[in-house]
Amino acid sequence: MTQTILDPTGRGAQHAGSAAGPADPQGRPTPELAPRPASLAGARIGLLDNTKHNALLFLTVVGELLVEEHGAASVGIVETKKNFSIPVDEEIVSRYRESCDVVVTGVGDCGSCSAAAVADGINFERAGLPAAVVLTDAFDITGRTMAGVQGAPDYEWIRTEHPMAVLTEEQVRERARLLLPEILSTLTVSDQEGRA
Amino acid sequence: MTAAPVQHEQHEQHEQHGQSLDPAAAQSAIEHAYEQGWTDGLPVVPATQDLVDRFLAAAGRPAGEVLSHLKQVDRTVTVELLAINAAMAGCRPEYFPVVLAAWQALAQERTTGGGGWQSTSGPAPLIIVNGPLRQELGFNSTGGVFGPGFRANATVARAIGLTVRNAYGIRPHELEQATQGVPGRWSICLAENEEESPWAPLAEDLGVSGNAVTSTLLRTSEFVDNRHTSDPEQLLADFADTIGRSGPWIFRNAGAGVVLCPEHANQLAKAGFSRADVAAWLGEHAGRTTGQLAAVGKDRANENGVRFPGATGDNRDTTDPEQFQRTIADPASMIVAVAGSRNAGISMVVRYFADWSGKPVAITTGTSPQKDDR
Repeated sequence: MTQTILDPTGRGAQHAGSAAGPADPQGRPTPELAPRPASLAGARIGLLDNTKHNALLFLTVVGELLVEEHGAASVGIVETKKNFSIPVDEEIVSRYRESCDVVVTGVGDCGSCSAAAVADGINFERAGLPAAVVLTDAFDITGRTMAGVQGAPDYEWIRTEHPMAVLTEEQVRERARLLLPEILSTLTVSDQEGRA
Repeated sequence: MTAAPVQHEQHEQHEQHGQSLDPAAAQSAIEHAYEQGWTDGLPVVPATQDLVDRFLAAAGRPAGEVLSHLKQVDRTVTVELLAINAAMAGCRPEYFPVVLAAWQALAQERTTGGGGWQSTSGPAPLIIVNGPLRQELGFNSTGGVFGPGFRANATVARAIGLTVRNAYGIRPHELEQATQGVPGRWSICLAENEEESPWAPLAEDLGVSGNAVTSTLLRTSEFVDNRHTSDPEQLLADFADTIGRSGPWIFRNAGAGVVLCPEHANQLAKAGFSRADVAAWLGEHAGRTTGQLAAVGKDRANENGVRFPGATGDNRDTTDPEQFQRTIADPASMIVAVAGSRNAGISMVVRYFADWSGKPVAITTGTSPQKDDR
Protein backbone atom coordinates (compact mmCIF):
# COMPACT_ATOMS: atom_id res chain seq x y z
CA MET A 1 0.00 0.00 0.00
CA THR A 2 1.56 3.28 -1.08
CA GLN A 3 -0.24 6.57 -0.63
CA THR A 4 0.84 9.90 -2.00
CA ILE A 5 1.47 12.84 0.29
CA LEU A 6 -1.01 15.63 -0.33
CA ASP A 7 0.19 19.09 -1.32
CA PRO A 8 -1.05 21.72 1.18
CA THR A 9 -0.66 24.69 -1.16
CA GLY A 10 -3.47 23.99 -3.59
CA ARG A 11 -1.16 24.83 -6.46
CA GLY A 12 0.06 21.48 -7.69
CA ALA A 13 3.48 19.96 -7.98
CA GLN A 14 4.92 22.44 -10.48
CA HIS A 15 4.88 25.19 -7.88
CA ALA A 16 6.05 23.15 -4.94
CA GLY A 17 8.92 24.67 -3.07
CA SER A 18 9.39 27.70 -5.26
CA ALA A 19 10.68 30.48 -3.08
CA ALA A 20 9.51 33.24 -5.35
CA GLY A 21 6.05 33.28 -6.76
CA PRO A 22 4.45 31.02 -9.29
CA ALA A 23 3.37 32.09 -12.72
CA ASP A 24 0.65 34.69 -12.96
CA PRO A 25 -2.40 33.16 -11.29
CA GLN A 26 -4.73 34.41 -13.97
CA GLY A 27 -2.52 33.10 -16.75
CA ARG A 28 -1.69 36.51 -18.16
CA PRO A 29 1.53 36.81 -20.13
CA THR A 30 4.55 38.46 -18.58
CA PRO A 31 3.95 42.08 -19.48
CA GLU A 32 6.10 44.20 -21.66
CA LEU A 33 6.50 47.61 -20.11
CA ALA A 34 4.06 50.17 -21.45
CA PRO A 35 5.44 52.27 -24.32
CA ARG A 36 7.41 55.27 -22.97
CA PRO A 37 7.29 58.80 -24.29
CA ALA A 38 10.59 60.46 -25.22
CA SER A 39 9.97 63.13 -22.61
CA LEU A 40 7.27 64.22 -20.19
CA ALA A 41 6.60 67.42 -22.16
CA GLY A 42 2.85 67.96 -22.10
CA ALA A 43 2.23 64.78 -20.10
CA ARG A 44 -0.41 64.55 -17.41
CA ILE A 45 1.02 63.05 -14.22
CA GLY A 46 -0.93 60.57 -12.08
CA LEU A 47 -0.06 60.15 -8.42
CA LEU A 48 -1.24 57.19 -6.32
CA ASP A 49 -0.71 57.55 -2.57
CA ASN A 50 -0.56 54.27 -0.66
CA THR A 51 -1.44 56.06 2.64
CA LYS A 52 1.89 55.48 4.39
CA HIS A 53 3.25 58.48 6.25
CA ASN A 54 5.09 60.97 4.04
CA ALA A 55 3.98 59.18 0.84
CA LEU A 56 1.53 61.87 -0.26
CA LEU A 57 3.97 64.69 0.48
CA PHE A 58 6.70 62.89 -1.45
CA LEU A 59 4.45 62.28 -4.44
CA THR A 60 3.11 65.82 -4.40
CA VAL A 61 6.62 67.25 -4.53
CA VAL A 62 7.58 64.87 -7.34
CA GLY A 63 4.50 65.96 -9.29
CA GLU A 64 5.34 69.65 -8.81
CA LEU A 65 8.92 69.14 -9.93
CA LEU A 66 7.89 67.20 -13.03
CA VAL A 67 5.57 70.05 -14.02
CA GLU A 68 7.91 72.90 -13.11
CA GLU A 69 11.15 71.46 -14.43
CA HIS A 70 10.34 68.78 -16.98
CA GLY A 71 7.47 70.23 -18.98
CA ALA A 72 4.67 68.01 -17.69
CA ALA A 73 1.31 69.66 -18.36
CA SER A 74 -0.28 69.02 -15.00
CA VAL A 75 -0.96 66.57 -12.23
CA GLY A 76 -4.09 65.01 -13.67
CA ILE A 77 -5.14 62.69 -10.86
CA VAL A 78 -4.21 62.10 -7.22
CA GLU A 79 -5.85 59.31 -5.29
CA THR A 80 -5.22 57.72 -1.94
CA LYS A 81 -5.63 53.95 -1.80
CA LYS A 82 -8.57 52.80 0.27
CA ASN A 83 -6.71 49.64 1.24
CA PHE A 84 -2.93 49.82 1.03
CA SER A 85 -2.65 46.02 1.07
CA ILE A 86 -4.71 45.39 -2.05
CA PRO A 87 -3.37 46.08 -5.55
CA VAL A 88 -5.30 48.53 -7.73
CA ASP A 89 -8.16 47.00 -9.67
CA GLU A 90 -9.47 47.66 -13.16
CA GLU A 91 -11.78 50.42 -11.93
CA ILE A 92 -8.94 52.44 -10.43
CA VAL A 93 -6.61 51.75 -13.34
CA SER A 94 -9.22 52.97 -15.82
CA ARG A 95 -9.61 56.24 -13.92
CA TYR A 96 -5.87 56.78 -14.23
CA ARG A 97 -5.94 55.84 -17.92
CA GLU A 98 -8.50 58.58 -18.50
CA SER A 99 -6.77 61.24 -16.44
CA CYS A 100 -3.05 60.80 -16.87
CA ASP A 101 -0.27 59.58 -19.16
CA VAL A 102 2.22 58.30 -16.57
CA VAL A 103 1.92 57.25 -12.92
CA VAL A 104 4.14 57.67 -9.87
CA THR A 105 3.18 55.59 -6.84
CA GLY A 106 4.41 54.56 -3.39
CA VAL A 107 5.93 54.83 -0.96
CA GLY A 108 6.19 51.16 -0.10
CA ASP A 109 7.22 51.35 3.54
CA CYS A 110 5.43 48.42 5.20
CA GLY A 111 4.88 44.70 4.83
CA SER A 112 1.81 44.44 2.69
CA CYS A 113 1.78 47.92 1.11
CA SER A 114 5.20 47.41 -0.47
CA ALA A 115 4.14 44.19 -2.13
CA ALA A 116 0.89 45.79 -3.27
CA ALA A 117 2.75 48.81 -4.72
CA VAL A 118 4.79 46.47 -6.93
CA ALA A 119 1.57 44.83 -8.11
CA ASP A 120 0.12 48.30 -8.76
CA GLY A 121 3.04 49.17 -11.02
CA ILE A 122 2.62 45.93 -12.96
CA ASN A 123 -1.13 46.55 -13.32
CA PHE A 124 -0.53 50.07 -14.66
CA GLU A 125 2.02 48.77 -17.17
CA ARG A 126 -0.42 46.10 -18.33
CA ALA A 127 -2.97 48.88 -18.91
CA GLY A 128 -0.46 50.80 -21.04
CA LEU A 129 0.50 53.38 -18.42
CA PRO A 130 4.19 53.85 -17.68
CA ALA A 131 4.62 53.68 -13.90
CA ALA A 132 7.38 54.54 -11.44
CA VAL A 133 7.00 52.64 -8.17
CA VAL A 134 9.00 53.74 -5.13
CA LEU A 135 9.77 51.35 -2.27
CA THR A 136 12.19 51.70 0.58
CA ASP A 137 15.13 49.31 0.41
CA ALA A 138 13.87 47.22 3.33
CA PHE A 139 11.29 45.52 1.16
CA ASP A 140 13.28 44.07 -1.74
CA ILE A 141 12.39 40.45 -1.09
CA THR A 142 8.68 40.95 -0.55
CA GLY A 143 8.55 43.19 -3.65
CA ARG A 144 10.36 40.56 -5.69
CA THR A 145 8.06 37.82 -4.40
CA MET A 146 4.98 39.82 -5.33
CA ALA A 147 6.40 40.51 -8.79
CA GLY A 148 6.63 36.76 -9.22
CA VAL A 149 3.09 36.27 -7.91
CA GLN A 150 1.92 38.79 -10.51
CA GLY A 151 3.69 36.92 -13.29
CA ALA A 152 6.35 39.57 -13.85
CA PRO A 153 9.35 38.26 -11.89
CA ASP A 154 11.80 40.70 -13.49
CA TYR A 155 9.73 43.84 -12.90
CA GLU A 156 11.87 46.71 -11.57
CA TRP A 157 11.01 49.53 -9.19
CA ILE A 158 12.86 52.45 -7.60
CA ARG A 159 14.53 51.84 -4.25
CA THR A 160 15.09 54.52 -1.66
CA GLU A 161 16.73 54.41 1.71
CA HIS A 162 14.63 53.07 4.58
CA PRO A 163 12.90 54.54 6.59
CA MET A 164 10.70 57.22 5.04
CA ALA A 165 8.10 57.63 7.76
CA VAL A 166 10.41 59.36 10.24
CA LEU A 167 11.64 62.05 7.82
CA THR A 168 10.77 65.69 8.35
CA GLU A 169 8.97 67.63 5.63
CA GLU A 170 12.24 69.17 4.49
CA GLN A 171 13.90 65.77 4.31
CA VAL A 172 11.00 64.40 2.27
CA ARG A 173 11.41 67.26 -0.20
CA GLU A 174 15.10 66.47 -0.46
CA ARG A 175 14.28 62.82 -1.04
CA ALA A 176 11.91 63.73 -3.86
CA ARG A 177 14.60 65.89 -5.45
CA LEU A 178 17.13 63.10 -5.09
CA LEU A 179 14.94 60.51 -6.78
CA LEU A 180 13.61 62.77 -9.52
CA PRO A 181 16.20 61.76 -12.19
CA GLU A 182 15.48 58.07 -11.65
CA ILE A 183 11.71 58.64 -11.72
CA LEU A 184 12.11 60.62 -14.95
CA SER A 185 14.23 57.96 -16.62
CA THR A 186 11.84 55.23 -15.50
CA LEU A 187 8.90 57.01 -17.13
CA THR A 188 10.55 57.99 -20.39
CA VAL A 189 12.64 56.39 -23.07
CA SER A 190 16.04 57.89 -23.65
CA ASP A 191 17.38 58.55 -27.15
CA GLN A 192 20.14 56.04 -26.57
CA GLU A 193 17.72 53.25 -25.81
CA GLY A 194 15.61 54.07 -28.83
CA ARG A 195 12.47 52.46 -27.45
CA ALA A 196 9.17 53.71 -28.80
CA MET B 1 -2.30 17.80 -5.74
CA THR B 2 0.15 14.95 -5.29
CA ALA B 3 3.78 14.75 -4.45
CA ALA B 4 6.21 11.98 -3.66
CA PRO B 5 4.80 8.62 -2.60
CA VAL B 6 5.53 7.43 0.91
CA GLN B 7 7.98 4.58 0.65
CA HIS B 8 7.33 1.39 2.53
CA GLU B 9 10.45 -0.59 2.14
CA GLN B 10 10.15 -3.12 4.89
CA HIS B 11 6.92 -2.85 6.78
CA GLU B 12 3.48 -1.95 5.77
CA GLN B 13 2.13 0.92 7.80
CA HIS B 14 -0.81 0.32 10.11
CA GLU B 15 -2.74 2.80 12.16
CA GLN B 16 -3.59 0.43 14.98
CA HIS B 17 -1.37 0.12 17.99
CA GLY B 18 0.50 -3.11 18.27
CA GLN B 19 1.32 -3.32 14.58
CA SER B 20 4.81 -2.71 13.39
CA LEU B 21 5.46 0.84 12.25
CA ASP B 22 7.91 2.11 9.68
CA PRO B 23 10.03 4.91 11.16
CA ALA B 24 12.23 5.16 8.09
CA ALA B 25 9.22 5.91 5.92
CA ALA B 26 7.97 8.44 8.48
CA GLN B 27 11.36 10.14 8.50
CA SER B 28 11.58 10.38 4.74
CA ALA B 29 8.03 11.72 4.55
CA ILE B 30 8.88 14.39 7.12
CA GLU B 31 12.00 15.37 5.20
CA HIS B 32 9.98 15.50 2.00
CA ALA B 33 7.69 18.11 3.60
CA TYR B 34 10.72 20.19 4.60
CA GLU B 35 12.12 20.01 1.09
CA GLN B 36 8.83 21.27 -0.33
CA GLY B 37 8.87 24.27 2.01
CA TRP B 38 5.64 23.17 3.68
CA THR B 39 6.64 23.37 7.34
CA ASP B 40 6.82 26.11 9.94
CA GLY B 41 10.20 24.81 11.05
CA LEU B 42 8.92 21.85 13.03
CA PRO B 43 8.12 18.42 11.57
CA VAL B 44 4.68 17.96 10.06
CA VAL B 45 2.50 14.89 9.70
CA PRO B 46 2.38 13.78 6.06
CA ALA B 47 -1.21 14.21 4.92
CA THR B 48 -2.76 11.41 2.90
CA GLN B 49 -6.18 11.29 1.28
CA ASP B 50 -7.41 8.67 3.76
CA LEU B 51 -6.47 10.88 6.70
CA VAL B 52 -7.89 14.04 5.15
CA ASP B 53 -11.13 12.24 4.31
CA ARG B 54 -11.60 11.60 8.01
CA PHE B 55 -11.14 15.32 8.69
CA LEU B 56 -13.72 16.17 6.05
CA ALA B 57 -16.18 13.65 7.49
CA ALA B 58 -15.74 15.09 10.98
CA ALA B 59 -16.77 18.52 9.76
CA GLY B 60 -19.43 17.39 7.28
CA ARG B 61 -18.60 20.18 4.86
CA PRO B 62 -17.96 19.91 1.09
CA ALA B 63 -14.25 19.59 0.32
CA GLY B 64 -14.40 22.29 -2.35
CA GLU B 65 -16.29 24.86 -0.28
CA VAL B 66 -14.43 28.17 -0.44
CA LEU B 67 -13.73 29.62 3.01
CA SER B 68 -11.71 32.68 2.09
CA HIS B 69 -9.86 34.35 -0.76
CA LEU B 70 -6.86 36.67 -0.49
CA LYS B 71 -7.13 39.11 -3.33
CA GLN B 72 -3.56 40.38 -3.58
CA VAL B 73 -2.13 36.90 -4.11
CA ASP B 74 -5.26 35.39 -5.71
CA ARG B 75 -5.12 32.41 -3.39
CA THR B 76 -8.10 30.57 -1.95
CA VAL B 77 -8.61 28.46 1.16
CA THR B 78 -11.07 25.61 0.68
CA VAL B 79 -12.31 23.20 3.31
CA GLU B 80 -10.03 20.53 1.85
CA LEU B 81 -6.90 22.71 1.88
CA LEU B 82 -7.62 23.69 5.47
CA ALA B 83 -8.05 19.99 6.31
CA ILE B 84 -4.73 19.06 4.69
CA ASN B 85 -2.93 21.73 6.69
CA ALA B 86 -4.74 20.75 9.89
CA ALA B 87 -3.69 17.14 9.36
CA MET B 88 -0.10 18.27 8.80
CA ALA B 89 -0.25 20.39 11.98
CA GLY B 90 -0.94 17.24 13.99
CA CYS B 91 -4.66 17.71 14.59
CA ARG B 92 -6.87 14.70 15.10
CA PRO B 93 -9.80 14.56 12.66
CA GLU B 94 -12.29 15.46 15.38
CA TYR B 95 -10.45 18.76 15.98
CA PHE B 96 -11.16 19.85 12.44
CA PRO B 97 -14.55 21.49 13.16
CA VAL B 98 -12.70 23.72 15.66
CA VAL B 99 -10.05 24.61 13.06
CA LEU B 100 -12.83 25.42 10.60
CA ALA B 101 -14.60 27.70 13.07
CA ALA B 102 -11.30 29.36 13.98
CA TRP B 103 -10.44 30.02 10.33
CA GLN B 104 -13.90 31.45 9.72
CA ALA B 105 -13.72 33.60 12.85
CA LEU B 106 -10.35 34.96 11.71
CA ALA B 107 -11.57 35.41 8.14
CA GLN B 108 -14.26 37.83 9.35
CA GLU B 109 -11.57 40.04 10.90
CA ARG B 110 -10.98 43.01 8.63
CA THR B 111 -7.21 42.74 8.53
CA THR B 112 -6.99 39.06 7.56
CA GLY B 113 -8.56 39.92 4.20
CA GLY B 114 -6.10 42.79 3.80
CA GLY B 115 -2.47 42.94 4.83
CA GLY B 116 -2.66 41.39 8.30
CA TRP B 117 -0.81 38.19 7.53
CA GLN B 118 1.96 40.15 5.75
CA SER B 119 2.30 42.82 8.41
CA THR B 120 5.54 44.02 9.98
CA SER B 121 3.68 43.49 13.28
CA GLY B 122 3.73 39.72 12.77
CA PRO B 123 0.43 39.34 14.61
CA ALA B 124 -0.68 36.15 16.37
CA PRO B 125 -4.20 34.73 16.22
CA LEU B 126 -5.93 34.48 19.59
CA ILE B 127 -8.32 31.52 19.46
CA ILE B 128 -10.77 31.04 22.34
CA VAL B 129 -12.90 27.87 22.43
CA ASN B 130 -16.20 27.61 24.31
CA GLY B 131 -18.66 24.78 24.84
CA PRO B 132 -18.73 21.11 25.87
CA LEU B 133 -16.48 20.16 22.96
CA ARG B 134 -13.57 21.62 24.96
CA GLN B 135 -13.56 18.63 27.31
CA GLU B 136 -14.58 16.06 24.73
CA LEU B 137 -11.55 16.95 22.65
CA GLY B 138 -9.14 17.54 25.52
CA PHE B 139 -8.58 21.29 25.18
CA ASN B 140 -6.71 22.82 28.09
CA SER B 141 -8.59 25.60 29.85
CA THR B 142 -6.71 25.66 33.15
CA GLY B 143 -3.04 25.64 34.15
CA GLY B 144 -0.60 26.87 31.52
CA VAL B 145 -3.34 27.76 29.10
CA PHE B 146 -1.07 30.03 27.05
CA GLY B 147 1.68 27.46 27.09
CA PRO B 148 2.45 24.12 25.44
CA GLY B 149 1.57 20.59 26.45
CA PHE B 150 -1.86 19.94 25.01
CA ARG B 151 -2.36 18.49 21.56
CA ALA B 152 -5.71 20.11 20.81
CA ASN B 153 -4.61 23.63 21.78
CA ALA B 154 -1.22 23.35 20.11
CA THR B 155 -2.30 21.82 16.83
CA VAL B 156 -5.44 23.88 16.20
CA ALA B 157 -3.38 27.08 16.49
CA ARG B 158 -0.60 25.60 14.37
CA ALA B 159 -3.10 24.60 11.65
CA ILE B 160 -3.93 28.28 11.14
CA GLY B 161 -0.27 29.15 10.67
CA LEU B 162 0.38 26.35 8.21
CA THR B 163 -2.67 27.38 6.20
CA VAL B 164 -1.46 30.98 5.96
CA ARG B 165 1.95 29.72 4.89
CA ASN B 166 0.88 27.04 2.45
CA ALA B 167 -2.57 27.89 1.14
CA TYR B 168 -2.01 31.67 0.96
CA GLY B 169 1.71 31.34 0.20
CA ILE B 170 2.62 33.95 2.81
CA ARG B 171 6.00 32.83 4.09
CA PRO B 172 8.49 34.56 6.41
CA HIS B 173 11.03 36.82 4.67
CA GLU B 174 8.96 36.73 1.47
CA LEU B 175 5.42 38.07 1.57
CA GLU B 176 5.41 37.82 5.38
CA GLN B 177 7.34 40.83 6.65
CA ALA B 178 7.25 40.56 10.46
CA THR B 179 9.92 42.84 11.88
CA GLN B 180 10.30 40.59 14.92
CA GLY B 181 6.97 38.79 15.15
CA VAL B 182 4.90 38.09 18.21
CA PRO B 183 5.82 35.43 20.80
CA GLY B 184 3.14 32.79 20.65
CA ARG B 185 2.39 33.25 16.99
CA TRP B 186 0.53 30.14 15.75
CA SER B 187 0.32 28.72 19.27
CA ILE B 188 -2.29 30.73 21.21
CA CYS B 189 -5.44 28.62 21.37
CA LEU B 190 -7.14 28.41 24.73
CA ALA B 191 -10.37 26.99 26.01
CA GLU B 192 -12.31 29.20 28.36
CA ASN B 193 -12.40 27.91 31.92
CA GLU B 194 -16.18 27.92 32.03
CA GLU B 195 -16.21 25.70 35.13
CA GLU B 196 -14.41 28.27 37.28
CA SER B 197 -15.67 31.42 35.59
CA PRO B 198 -18.24 33.49 37.47
CA TRP B 199 -19.83 34.58 34.22
CA ALA B 200 -21.58 33.01 31.23
CA PRO B 201 -19.30 31.55 28.55
CA LEU B 202 -17.67 34.29 26.48
CA ALA B 203 -19.25 33.25 23.18
CA GLU B 204 -22.66 32.93 24.80
CA ASP B 205 -22.41 36.51 26.07
CA LEU B 206 -21.58 37.48 22.49
CA GLY B 207 -24.64 35.70 21.13
CA VAL B 208 -23.43 32.18 20.27
CA SER B 209 -24.15 29.55 22.92
CA GLY B 210 -22.58 26.09 23.02
CA ASN B 211 -19.53 25.14 20.99
CA ALA B 212 -18.01 28.24 19.46
CA VAL B 213 -14.74 29.98 18.63
CA THR B 214 -13.98 33.63 19.32
CA SER B 215 -10.87 34.99 17.62
CA THR B 216 -8.88 38.03 16.65
CA LEU B 217 -5.27 38.93 15.87
CA LEU B 218 -2.91 40.01 18.66
CA ARG B 219 0.11 42.28 18.76
CA THR B 220 1.18 40.71 22.01
CA SER B 221 0.03 39.49 25.40
CA GLU B 222 1.35 40.84 28.70
CA PHE B 223 0.82 39.41 32.16
CA VAL B 224 -0.49 41.26 35.18
CA ASP B 225 0.53 39.67 38.49
CA ASN B 226 -1.55 41.02 41.35
CA ARG B 227 -2.19 38.79 44.38
CA HIS B 228 -2.14 41.05 47.41
CA THR B 229 -5.07 43.39 47.21
CA SER B 230 -8.68 42.66 47.96
CA ASP B 231 -9.79 45.97 46.47
CA PRO B 232 -11.33 45.33 43.04
CA GLU B 233 -10.50 48.82 41.80
CA GLN B 234 -6.84 48.45 42.73
CA LEU B 235 -6.82 45.20 40.78
CA LEU B 236 -8.52 46.81 37.78
CA ALA B 237 -6.17 49.80 37.97
CA ASP B 238 -3.25 47.41 37.55
CA PHE B 239 -4.81 46.13 34.33
CA ALA B 240 -5.60 49.66 33.19
CA ASP B 241 -1.97 50.68 33.63
CA THR B 242 -0.77 47.84 31.43
CA ILE B 243 -3.48 48.44 28.82
CA GLY B 244 -2.69 52.16 28.79
CA ARG B 245 1.04 51.96 28.30
CA SER B 246 2.31 53.88 25.31
CA GLY B 247 4.60 51.34 23.62
CA PRO B 248 2.04 49.49 21.54
CA TRP B 249 -0.13 52.54 20.97
CA ILE B 250 0.27 53.90 17.42
CA PHE B 251 -3.20 54.99 16.33
CA ARG B 252 -5.73 57.33 17.94
CA ASN B 253 -6.98 54.41 20.02
CA ALA B 254 -5.69 50.90 20.59
CA GLY B 255 -7.57 47.64 21.16
CA ALA B 256 -7.08 45.24 24.02
CA GLY B 257 -8.85 42.64 26.08
CA VAL B 258 -8.10 40.58 29.17
CA VAL B 259 -7.87 36.86 29.80
CA LEU B 260 -8.52 36.75 33.52
CA CYS B 261 -7.40 33.93 35.76
CA PRO B 262 -10.26 32.44 37.81
CA GLU B 263 -9.02 34.15 41.00
CA HIS B 264 -9.16 37.62 39.47
CA ALA B 265 -12.46 36.96 37.70
CA ASN B 266 -14.11 35.72 40.87
CA GLN B 267 -12.70 38.56 42.96
CA LEU B 268 -14.25 41.05 40.54
CA ALA B 269 -17.55 39.15 40.28
CA LYS B 270 -17.89 38.98 44.06
CA ALA B 271 -17.47 42.75 44.14
CA GLY B 272 -20.40 43.01 41.75
CA PHE B 273 -18.63 43.43 38.42
CA SER B 274 -20.18 41.82 35.39
CA ARG B 275 -18.06 41.14 32.31
CA ALA B 276 -19.38 44.38 30.77
CA ASP B 277 -18.64 46.28 33.99
CA VAL B 278 -15.02 45.15 33.87
CA ALA B 279 -14.71 46.35 30.28
CA ALA B 280 -16.40 49.65 31.07
CA TRP B 281 -14.10 50.32 34.05
CA LEU B 282 -10.98 49.49 32.05
CA GLY B 283 -12.17 51.53 29.09
CA GLU B 284 -12.62 54.56 31.30
CA HIS B 285 -9.33 54.27 33.18
CA ALA B 286 -6.82 52.90 30.65
CA GLY B 287 -4.83 55.65 28.98
CA ARG B 288 -2.19 58.30 29.41
CA THR B 289 -2.16 62.07 29.69
CA THR B 290 -1.23 64.16 26.70
CA GLY B 291 1.93 65.16 28.55
CA GLN B 292 2.93 61.52 29.05
CA LEU B 293 2.25 60.78 25.39
CA ALA B 294 4.16 63.89 24.30
CA ALA B 295 7.19 62.55 26.17
CA VAL B 296 7.22 59.56 23.80
CA GLY B 297 6.21 61.43 20.64
CA LYS B 298 2.69 60.06 20.40
CA ASP B 299 0.45 62.81 21.74
CA ARG B 300 -1.50 63.75 18.64
CA ALA B 301 -3.32 61.63 16.07
CA ASN B 302 -3.25 63.06 12.55
CA GLU B 303 -6.11 63.07 10.04
CA ASN B 304 -5.44 59.38 9.28
CA GLY B 305 -5.61 58.54 12.97
CA VAL B 306 -1.87 57.86 13.27
CA ARG B 307 -0.08 59.23 16.33
CA PHE B 308 2.80 61.70 16.00
CA PRO B 309 4.67 64.20 18.12
CA GLY B 310 2.22 67.06 18.04
CA ALA B 311 2.77 69.32 21.01
CA THR B 312 5.12 71.47 19.05
CA GLY B 313 4.63 74.40 16.72
CA ASP B 314 0.99 75.21 16.21
CA ASN B 315 -0.14 72.70 18.79
CA ARG B 316 2.17 73.78 21.59
CA ASP B 317 -0.18 76.17 23.30
CA THR B 318 -3.45 74.45 22.51
CA THR B 319 -2.80 71.06 24.06
CA ASP B 320 -3.42 70.57 27.78
CA PRO B 321 -0.69 68.26 29.09
CA GLU B 322 -3.03 67.07 31.84
CA GLN B 323 -5.74 65.96 29.43
CA PHE B 324 -6.35 62.22 29.76
CA GLN B 325 -6.50 60.27 26.50
CA ARG B 326 -8.25 56.93 26.63
CA THR B 327 -6.62 53.89 25.03
CA ILE B 328 -9.86 52.04 24.31
CA ALA B 329 -12.34 53.66 21.94
CA ASP B 330 -15.26 51.41 22.84
CA PRO B 331 -15.28 49.11 25.89
CA ALA B 332 -17.72 46.83 24.04
CA SER B 333 -14.75 45.89 21.85
CA MET B 334 -12.91 44.32 24.80
CA ILE B 335 -12.68 40.55 25.08
CA VAL B 336 -13.05 39.56 28.74
CA ALA B 337 -12.37 35.83 28.95
CA VAL B 338 -11.53 33.53 31.86
CA ALA B 339 -8.81 30.90 31.60
CA GLY B 340 -5.96 29.45 33.60
CA SER B 341 -5.50 27.77 36.93
CA ARG B 342 -7.09 29.04 40.15
CA ASN B 343 -3.71 28.84 41.88
CA ALA B 344 -2.58 32.48 41.64
CA GLY B 345 -3.65 36.00 40.69
CA ILE B 346 -1.95 36.13 37.29
CA SER B 347 -3.89 37.29 34.25
CA MET B 348 -3.08 38.37 30.73
CA VAL B 349 -3.72 41.56 28.79
CA VAL B 350 -4.21 40.61 25.15
CA ARG B 351 -3.43 43.47 22.84
CA TYR B 352 -5.25 43.55 19.50
CA PHE B 353 -3.53 44.00 16.18
CA ALA B 354 -6.54 45.97 14.92
CA ASP B 355 -10.25 46.16 15.54
CA TRP B 356 -12.20 43.03 16.50
CA SER B 357 -15.34 41.82 14.76
CA GLY B 358 -16.93 40.82 18.06
CA LYS B 359 -18.57 37.82 16.43
CA PRO B 360 -17.93 34.24 17.57
CA VAL B 361 -18.42 31.39 15.08
CA ALA B 362 -20.38 28.27 16.06
CA ILE B 363 -18.51 24.96 15.78
CA THR B 364 -20.51 22.50 13.71
CA THR B 365 -19.70 18.83 13.30
CA GLY B 366 -20.58 16.33 10.58
CA THR B 367 -23.86 14.46 10.83
CA SER B 368 -22.06 11.12 10.98
CA PRO B 369 -18.59 11.83 12.29
CA GLN B 370 -16.22 8.97 11.74
CA LYS B 371 -15.15 7.19 14.85
CA ASP B 372 -11.51 7.66 15.52
CA ASP B 373 -9.97 4.28 16.03
CA ARG B 374 -6.84 5.20 17.89
